Amino acid sequence: MLKKSCSALLISLIVAGSGSIFPALIAQVRIPQIDYKERTLANGLKVYSVRNTSSPTVAINVWYKVGSKDDPANRSGFAHLFEHMMFKATKNMKPETFDRLTEDVGGYNNASTWPDYTYYHEVVPSNYLETLLWAEADRMGSLVVEDSFFKSERDVVEEEYRQRVLAQPYGRLFYLLLNTRSYTTHPYKRPTIGSIEDLEAATIDDVRAFHATYYRPDNAVLIVVGDFDQKQLDAWVDKYFAGIPRPDKPVPRVQSKEPERRAEQRFTEYGPNVPLPAVAITYLVPPAASSDAMPLQIAEAILSAGESSRLYQSLVYEQQIAQEAFASYDRREDESLFYLGAILASGKRPDEAERALLAEVTRMQQQPVAAAELDKVKNQLITSALRERETNNGKAEAIGYAVTMYGDAARVNTDLDRLRAVTAADVQRVMQKYFTAANRVVISYQQETRQPAGDKAGARSGPQPDSVGAARKGGTR
Amino acid sequence: MRAERFFGRRMAGVVWHVVCGLIAAGLLFSARLETGAQTVPPAPSAPRPVSIPRPVERRLRNGLRVIVIEDKNMPLVAAQMVINNGSEVDPPLLSGAADLTASLLTKGTQTRTAPEIARAIEALGGTLESGAGWDASKVALNVMSDKIDAAMAIMADVIRNPSFKEDEIARLRQQYLDNLSVALSQPGTLASFVASRVVFGDSPYGHPVSGTPESLARIKREDIVALHSKYYRPDNAILVFGGDIRPETAFRLAERYFGDWPRPATPIPQVAPEKNTQGGSRAEAHPRVVVIDMPGAGQAAVVLARAGIRRTDPDYFTGIVANSVLGGGYSSRLNQEIRIKRGLSYGASSALGARRDTGPFIASAQTKNQSAPEVASLLISELGQLASEPITAAELTPRKAALIGNFGRSLETNGGLVAQISQLATYGLSLDQLNRFIENVQAVTADAVQRFAATRISPQGANLIIAGDAKEFLAELRKKFPNVEVIPAARLDLNSAALQRAGEQAPSGPGL
Repeated sequence: MLKKSCSALLISLIVAGSGSIFPALIAQVRIPQIDYKERTLANGLKVYSVRNTSSPTVAINVWYKVGSKDDPANRSGFAHLFEHMMFKATKNMKPETFDRLTEDVGGYNNASTWPDYTYYHEVVPSNYLETLLWAEADRMGSLVVEDSFFKSERDVVEEEYRQRVLAQPYGRLFYLLLNTRSYTTHPYKRPTIGSIEDLEAATIDDVRAFHATYYRPDNAVLIVVGDFDQKQLDAWVDKYFAGIPRPDKPVPRVQSKEPERRAEQRFTEYGPNVPLPAVAITYLVPPAASSDAMPLQIAEAILSAGESSRLYQSLVYEQQIAQEAFASYDRREDESLFYLGAILASGKRPDEAERALLAEVTRMQQQPVAAAELDKVKNQLITSALRERETNNGKAEAIGYAVTMYGDAARVNTDLDRLRAVTAADVQRVMQKYFTAANRVVISYQQETRQPAGDKAGARSGPQPDSVGAARKGGTR
Repeated sequence: MRAERFFGRRMAGVVWHVVCGLIAAGLLFSARLETGAQTVPPAPSAPRPVSIPRPVERRLRNGLRVIVIEDKNMPLVAAQMVINNGSEVDPPLLSGAADLTASLLTKGTQTRTAPEIARAIEALGGTLESGAGWDASKVALNVMSDKIDAAMAIMADVIRNPSFKEDEIARLRQQYLDNLSVALSQPGTLASFVASRVVFGDSPYGHPVSGTPESLARIKREDIVALHSKYYRPDNAILVFGGDIRPETAFRLAERYFGDWPRPATPIPQVAPEKNTQGGSRAEAHPRVVVIDMPGAGQAAVVLARAGIRRTDPDYFTGIVANSVLGGGYSSRLNQEIRIKRGLSYGASSALGARRDTGPFIASAQTKNQSAPEVASLLISELGQLASEPITAAELTPRKAALIGNFGRSLETNGGLVAQISQLATYGLSLDQLNRFIENVQAVTADAVQRFAATRISPQGANLIIAGDAKEFLAELRKKFPNVEVIPAARLDLNSAALQRAGEQAPSGPGL
């Protein structure tokens, strides 16, 4: 079946006249800049706007610097549960009013919770901009939680857990184990989706406290992209957001630091309905804001972007060890993960896949990547950045990410130059520096019927398994 | 199978954009307060009109239809070659053949190997994907506009000169088999495969697009070559361009790369459309209740499925409005009742799969195993209520707006524009439907929706399929549906409407 490829339009562009030093294809890529306007209100709210009148629509984003790493103790999954509550009631809105103001008039809304941030977005006909600014300000300023809809929405989140984690054959590996097995100390060790037990333990008081602590103007970024009049927008922002008070106390921040890894750790995990074994190898790597982040992004693309990537060519195509191979630089605000792995082809063993994955790591450590391959991945990354910015909302998200993760909106434009500047030596250096045996965690994941008798604890070495595993208690109600 | 690190309010992934404020400010909005904090939403201002770009087209001498829709906002182009036949032409024992054929196009030509094709396209920053679906096979290119010429050369090569090498067939067959083993371990996918068999029986829409373990094993190189030479011909194809490309440039590229694609002397293959409806009407007369037992399944997938309509049905727009009320979008009735009011699922929805012949109508949700019978009853009662009770304007107006907004957002990307055009062209519909979508939706009345629900998608003809851990819900389900057929997932046979090989019936037996 055809995978839908996304692409283009509706954005007026200012083409950068950048003088790239790179020859060949890279030099031809003209990168449209995002031309944003920036202001900060007295209460600390940062506001970014990009005007684009090519269609009568507007995208509104509000990013809060709070994510699953800020889940309260024994409340894993809480930041995400909270995000769902933001679509319920406020002092001035009944539950689901956001849907009335968006979907019912031909618009759209959604939100996402990540380890370091949570963001909310709407796309609406541009004549509804003032309405949505009022609504976003209203839920920043007040949130009302009642027992009836708190419980039913918590049930929805538990079904989300079951749908993503339990019903998918590799859900436990990707949503739970990658986090629980990769971190020992930092709150990143808790999965963003949480656990059924912790979700069940959450209370309405938790919701109120979380809103008071984190949902405040000096912890938020408002981005508006699309069809608006700048003076009118600024006046509406002042009218609806300026009155929201900034609390006296500072926003609490996670201080925990993940210790350096000192020796390889290995885990063998089991689950039901796992048709083919899978292997994942994770490395602890520097945060998103590190100067090594860009070479790591290039390394990720060399390993995994498209069918010409090294993992696909080696594991899927040539050796046919894997049904699918993947690599990801999971960029976070604190110590981040780089993981690579494979879902095996039938009849193959996890150790074969592990060896093949490590061989590709070694190859990148020993030989600098050729100029043509480096150009190829830069072209892929630049084109995919363009595709992501086709829409008003895509541009708003790019700004929201840059401000929240780097504290610097200009990164939406300067990152592409940073990417161009990465050399083969940079890539080789980060591969040598971080992809060591002592810095790796190896997780193998397979069908529970393969589990040897007497090994029901799950892990063969390393810490005992936490709440992950075969007999997951789905349906505790 | 990428790890997603984020969790949203709903499964999304769509791109956004909107068709303007068609809706006057409703009851929700009232005059703003002049003093103190504002406690009601400010009313919208006057809407601005929308413009949807207009496609232009030309036919090459060899019969290839070329359509271009220019939109210069981003330096990107999407191009798609659509072959007017897809998985419905799979030979009876060879389901998956059309999809395997289409997927193999990018796995080698007379002059390029599979890795060379991937490297060449990706060096341009582009993507080139191919596959078959119902009624069409497609090759889709997406690339920066200044690289379209070089990329088209590769696209034309894979369409016209595929080599179908034995080792590539073997490799892809194995990947399909492995993919299938993953798909069959997910309750949602499994239930949808079974639903197709139950609704369409042994007729052409009944099998999985990507084949079954047995059919994939039977497909030989000669079957693939035969399928390619029969259907991949210029007078059975449409080439669509969308994005930052001038029509003259697109026509010139089409002529350069496809102008000498020979048109065979044989007539264009016709597919007898009446084949499918047989399956549909048979299933309608004897609806089934089927449980696929998956011990250890993390959730149950509950699917209500029946025959729906053809894409060219005069009631198409009534149908999509009815679907928008029932289960198309977040605030539709199914999601209101199942998710928002009762917390039984992360999302409930319905879909009207209008095709060249009668397609499926499906309403579905995933829920914890114990809740499967309750969700099944809700799906059935909501479908019935749509037919039995009038729809108010207060409900119909926003559901039309949601439908129009979705359509508008689908046109926001080049890929989306091209997909919409391809669909109209494949079904022989006028391309100006793209520009008349809004008026066609607005013209649908509440009476028409109710009549459609009663006559075209009534629950009386619907089949119920549940894939999940049967021990958690079977006893409860039997109280309402004593005729339930229970099939262990390990014994499921997707090759025929019986769903089990002869002699393998489970003790409960099929009780029609």
